[in-house]
Amino acid sequence: MIEIIEVNKFFNQKQALDGINLIIPKGSVFGIIGPNGAGKTTLIRILNQILEPSAGKILIAGIPLNAQHVSAFGYLPEERGLYREMKVLDHLVFLARIRGLNRNQALHAARKWLDKFEIQAWSNKRIDSLSKGMAQKVQFIGTILHDPQIIILDEPLSGFDPLNIQLILDQIRTFKAEGKTIIFSTHNMNSVEEICDEVALIHQGRVIAHDQVAMLRSKYKTGAYKVRFQGNQIAFANALWTGFEILSTVELGNQWHEAVIKSRQGQTFNEVFNALSSALTLQLIEEQLPGMQDIFLKLVTQNNHE
Amino acid sequence: MNKSWLIAVRELFERLNNRSFRLMLLLGPLLILAMVYVLLESGNQGVSSMKVLISDPTNLFENKISSRPSEHVTYYFYDDYIEFESFKSDPKFKSFDALIEINEKVIINKKVFLFHREDPNLQLKMKLKFEIERRLEEVLIEQFTNLEVEEFRKIKQPLNIDFRNVDDPFDTSDETTAWVGYFLGYIMIFFIAIFGTNITKSINREKINRISEVILASVKSHQLMLGKIFGNLLASFVQLIFWISIVGIGLVVFQQFLMNDLFTPDHLNGVQVSDQQLKALGMETMMQQNEHIDLLFHRINYLWLLPNFLIFFIGTYWIFASFFTIMGAMSGDESDGQQFVIPIWIFLGLTIFAGYNTMTYPDSGLTKFFSYFPWTSGMVSMVKVTVGVSLSQYLMILISWVIQLLVGTLFISLAARIFKHGILSFGHRWSMKLWFSWLKK
Repeated sequence: MIEIIEVNKFFNQKQALDGINLIIPKGSVFGIIGPNGAGKTTLIRILNQILEPSAGKILIAGIPLNAQHVSAFGYLPEERGLYREMKVLDHLVFLARIRGLNRNQALHAARKWLDKFEIQAWSNKRIDSLSKGMAQKVQFIGTILHDPQIIILDEPLSGFDPLNIQLILDQIRTFKAEGKTIIFSTHNMNSVEEICDEVALIHQGRVIAHDQVAMLRSKYKTGAYKVRFQGNQIAFANALWTGFEILSTVELGNQWHEAVIKSRQGQTFNEVFNALSSALTLQLIEEQLPGMQDIFLKLVTQNNHE
Repeated sequence: MNKSWLIAVRELFERLNNRSFRLMLLLGPLLILAMVYVLLESGNQGVSSMKVLISDPTNLFENKISSRPSEHVTYYFYDDYIEFESFKSDPKFKSFDALIEINEKVIINKKVFLFHREDPNLQLKMKLKFEIERRLEEVLIEQFTNLEVEEFRKIKQPLNIDFRNVDDPFDTSDETTAWVGYFLGYIMIFFIAIFGTNITKSINREKINRISEVILASVKSHQLMLGKIFGNLLASFVQLIFWISIVGIGLVVFQQFLMNDLFTPDHLNGVQVSDQQLKALGMETMMQQNEHIDLLFHRINYLWLLPNFLIFFIGTYWIFASFFTIMGAMSGDESDGQQFVIPIWIFLGLTIFAGYNTMTYPDSGLTKFFSYFPWTSGMVSMVKVTVGVSLSQYLMILISWVIQLLVGTLFISLAARIFKHGILSFGHRWSMKLWFSWLKK
């Protein structure tokens, strides 16, 4: 478990972090989201001991963060680079060695991961000869080949094609299954919904929301439902009566329609079902939970206005 | 320290994989050897025949000098004193190429001055020296001893003929040794400029391609900085080892094969003589007479100079490395790296001036200042130890070296502060305000 307690960071007079408090459970995928300049990268750099906090502390399994923890972390920064003139294998071995592995361990780990990511044939090529996708795989391998227990990924999916995105997401799930803690910073809200257990939204150096993803989506639900039915649209409107507002309707053909409705008095799923089932042939009723994108926009906008 | 070492080794291999670095491993020493070749050859330049006027007011030589006529030298005798100024400008002496002064003191001080209009070549010098010494030997045996020639040669002092140009009569050539020190100091500054610039470029490159953040997640900023400084120091040592080895081998090749005739001449314009014979006559050998050969092969004590070169190189590199590190850390984009190096190059220029000043005015106040000023003391020390120093002077040089290391360490620690903040800063504009704010943090 990682405990971030009252962490502040000032750059000269400017406060980049303002009393950050977070608990990141061991073995979870923890999302850190926020607009540009919110303080995410500063927090991540503090976790990686690249920067020191101006105030506050960080505990790793109850022990204050210190130099001994360096090898427990794997860090893929957003602005990531490579030694372009080095060969792939040499680059990976160098990274593994500065994180505490000896040469044999580093070689073994590098070869294992190159095999796993199917780029072993490129191990003796210079990095500047790799395609962008392959270079990104090398960057990802460089982050995890020393078997860290805490993996911090800052925008790990940017620039990847869908196949490689899936590869990385699958690998993150595997790490989670192995009990590793993954801290995941991204602007890609779909991936947050897909793999994060918990998420913290940082804005202007403060945590403005922190919860499990499902809880956050539930907390900010709007009472909207998606309904797919066969029948007359007038009958549909009559069945809803005045308790619902029809937000949109799409004709699917053969008298099938799909509509999005919003309850006016906070009706439950059962009440929606009961209202419609006697008048129409129903195929689907689904509560429309807000996406993380919507929650993000809502909270940031709301916070800007406060 | 282990992580700094890993970074240093990576930095070294990056240099070794660089084509221009590998090219310089060979090209640098070959250029030096080419210079040495020209230098040695130049020692053998000059006119090969002369009309020589011997001013012999006491008639010591009795108008005799050599029993065999020579097409290269024609001697004429003059039975009065001739001032060298008069020889230089009086029309009646214009037809003579050289003047030899034989006065009564020559018997005591064994010193003869030869004023020439154009430099004689080495063979001619040796011939002149050989014939004058032989004649003087005859005179001394005839007039002052009862010894046999062989016995006399065992106890006699060698004749010292001082060849001087009439246009530069006070040139003594004693500065040549200092020039060697200056040249070595110059090489030292050249290496510091090249490898120091590499520190700046390397930091700049890592900032541009953003690898520095990955590395800083695993190592402290001062470890990264020291790794870069030591890595470039190692790379410069590799260059130095290659240069020293190739130049050393080259000098042996010159001596044994390429310029064999300069080292072991078979004849001297009709006078059959070898180094062994010259030694037997108590005379300087050909090698000693070619001052460049003498300098490179006899007067320079390489076993003394090379260790000194290394310690002054380390001290001077250490103090300049902090500057190059700061410049790399301060730069906001790739082009900054180039322009910020210019002030350091000006500082390096001051060091070169300090070396020249030491040669020209070895005892001046400015030289004393440069001796202890940490940025210039390495160069000054190099010139001094090459010329030769007493034990107490050498101890003072070591003190200046310790000062250099201490001030270097202070500046490295200041550089580390700037490096810590600068390494993660991109795209900013350089300003003194920013510089001080990073220094204060």
